[in-house]
Amino acid sequence: MIDALVQALINGVIAGTILAVPAIGFSAIFAVLNYPNFTIGSLAAAGAYAGYLANTQLGWPLALALGAAFAGAAVVGVAHEWAAVRPLQKAGALIMAIASLAGGIVVENLLRFAFGNEQRGYELPLARDIVFAEVYRIGPQQMKNFAMALGIMAAIWAFLRWTRTGRSMRAVADNRDLARLRGIDPERVAVVTVAVGAGLAGFGGMLIGLDTTLEPFMGQRLLLSIFAAAVLGGLGSIPGAVAGALLIGVVEEVSVLFINPAYKSAVAFAAILLVLTFRPAGLFGTRQG
Amino acid sequence: MTIQQRRRTLIQGASALAAGALFAPAFVRAQANAPIKLGTLTPLTGAGGPYGPVMANTVKAVVDTVNAAGGVRGRRVELVSEDDQTNPEAGVRAARKLIDVDKVSAIMGTWASSVTTAVAPLCWESKTFLCTVSGADSITQLPHQGYLVRTQPNTTLQGRKFGEFALELGAKRVFYMSPQTPFTQSVFANIKAALEKGGATAELLIYDDKKPSLRTEVDQALRFRPDLIFMGGYAPDTTVLVKDVFRANFRGKLLTLGYAVNQRVAEANPEATEGVYTMAPSPAEGSGAFKRVAEIVKNANPDPYSCQVYDHVSMVLMAIAQGRDSSGAAIRENIRKVSQGGGRAVDNAVDGIRAIVAGEKVDYNGASGPCDFTDIGDILDCKFRYEQARKGKIELIRVA
Repeated sequence: MIDALVQALINGVIAGTILAVPAIGFSAIFAVLNYPNFTIGSLAAAGAYAGYLANTQLGWPLALALGAAFAGAAVVGVAHEWAAVRPLQKAGALIMAIASLAGGIVVENLLRFAFGNEQRGYELPLARDIVFAEVYRIGPQQMKNFAMALGIMAAIWAFLRWTRTGRSMRAVADNRDLARLRGIDPERVAVVTVAVGAGLAGFGGMLIGLDTTLEPFMGQRLLLSIFAAAVLGGLGSIPGAVAGALLIGVVEEVSVLFINPAYKSAVAFAAILLVLTFRPAGLFGTRQG
Repeated sequence: MTIQQRRRTLIQGASALAAGALFAPAFVRAQANAPIKLGTLTPLTGAGGPYGPVMANTVKAVVDTVNAAGGVRGRRVELVSEDDQTNPEAGVRAARKLIDVDKVSAIMGTWASSVTTAVAPLCWESKTFLCTVSGADSITQLPHQGYLVRTQPNTTLQGRKFGEFALELGAKRVFYMSPQTPFTQSVFANIKAALEKGGATAELLIYDDKKPSLRTEVDQALRFRPDLIFMGGYAPDTTVLVKDVFRANFRGKLLTLGYAVNQRVAEANPEATEGVYTMAPSPAEGSGAFKRVAEIVKNANPDPYSCQVYDHVSMVLMAIAQGRDSSGAAIRENIRKVSQGGGRAVDNAVDGIRAIVAGEKVDYNGASGPCDFTDIGDILDCKFRYEQARKGKIELIRVA
């Protein structure tokens, strides 16, 4: 039983780390634009398909294709923001969230229109897992995905900490009016944030696609987990999104050992309920107002 | 009321009556010539997405042929196609539209058992006839009052056949992995019964088909030390599962359903699917109806669901011709009169309608099989197709 638990923990930490990438994107957009962008699942799918095109049609290696996934999702994310969400900005966060939900459905259907419903895969040899300590196993692609997820998270951390644009994003997230007084253009920061957030979703979507398979509705599978991770960590908090994603990843894997998967959603929501009961702003969130 | 007023009222009433009498036959005539409305409710998207569009096109082709031949006793047939998205909620919305807005008398082609289970009550309550390709035992056990038939063998029969095939492959310890579906428990119970009869054992794990990775579930399976893993899901989750089974270095045998590892899945994942055995209810290969479906779908080897839905529309149209009435109730009364019980053997709607109009008794032999039904709507007989994925191709082992 201990072996099973350790193995589930390993799987959970890796799954959680990969889930953290789009969760950071979701949280960043929430922090700067103050609405939950439910297109995030579809953007993950859009990024995965952009990476697929670069990998299979242009013959790009996977590392470069991941760049294409980031860029593709960023373009779709910004276009979606301009076309669907921005015109409704005055109507408030709830309407913007609903618009993003609708926009996500449109993006998914455009993917279906362009690529069809069938499943697709990257040009990637399928490798057997490496067994260590006799009983535990880990896949080579799993390890690479884990490393790439850590890499992009480190890059985002550095971007937010040391670049001027990153610091502007943090300033707007902290206090929009004060940032404007300091000469920061919140509109420009909003566009950059959406591009980066959507790009992260696309990057994460491709990482998940590398380990599993591509289909237009893959975003729907992810949306609830991404949202749960962000809420759990505290909406708008980047370290919170990472912690929330790790927790969701581990809970989803470990619960397989004890609970019928039919109740999996109940487990995720029970975890959210429990955390929010004791920490209403999430693990790393701060109370507003 | 004065005499004048009374007379005026009388004259108005008489005029109205005369007008009614004058127009009534035209109204009845219009009803008799009104188009027959039928609906398809197939999965154009979701796990059934590879099959639904072909199924809808097959029905359309049959309807076009019947209309070109003069319709059903002079009435044109209109077809409305909706997408159930392989999702019960979407299926119910689409069925409501077909029943309430389009006022179809029959819905054909529901694919996933969960969708059929959700849609069936709407059908029997509105007296709309439902033809399905879903296999869950529970479907024909619903109180459908005869408003439902299915051309897919039920899960009792399928489960027993799966169990027997697993034994034939030499399995002693079988691990059954499946998402939660209306047929999961009954298929497993029947597989287990068949295996235990042959001295083998079986264990079940239900997984969440929305999870992007099933590694932990595969670990659970391997702890049972199975020599055969039966994958009971649909294509999207089975693709994830078969990859994770491969990565986990499982060297035993894999068995699944024909729609879970189909040609596309095998082509896209040649390494992971190498050696996977698949089973599916087999169409009546070589029959006249089968050849007609092959021509419609432009594929010498049409999938079982296109064959079944070809049978649905053919039988429904013949039942309407037989009953001289296009209501769901008339289809219910007449579908067995045209599909079984002897008579002139026909394999398509045009010939069948012609024979019925000429006063002959017909017995339809379909593309999916003989299409003879029990009282609760199950088919009496069906063959199975046994195949194996080899180097990205699905190769036939036998039909039996």
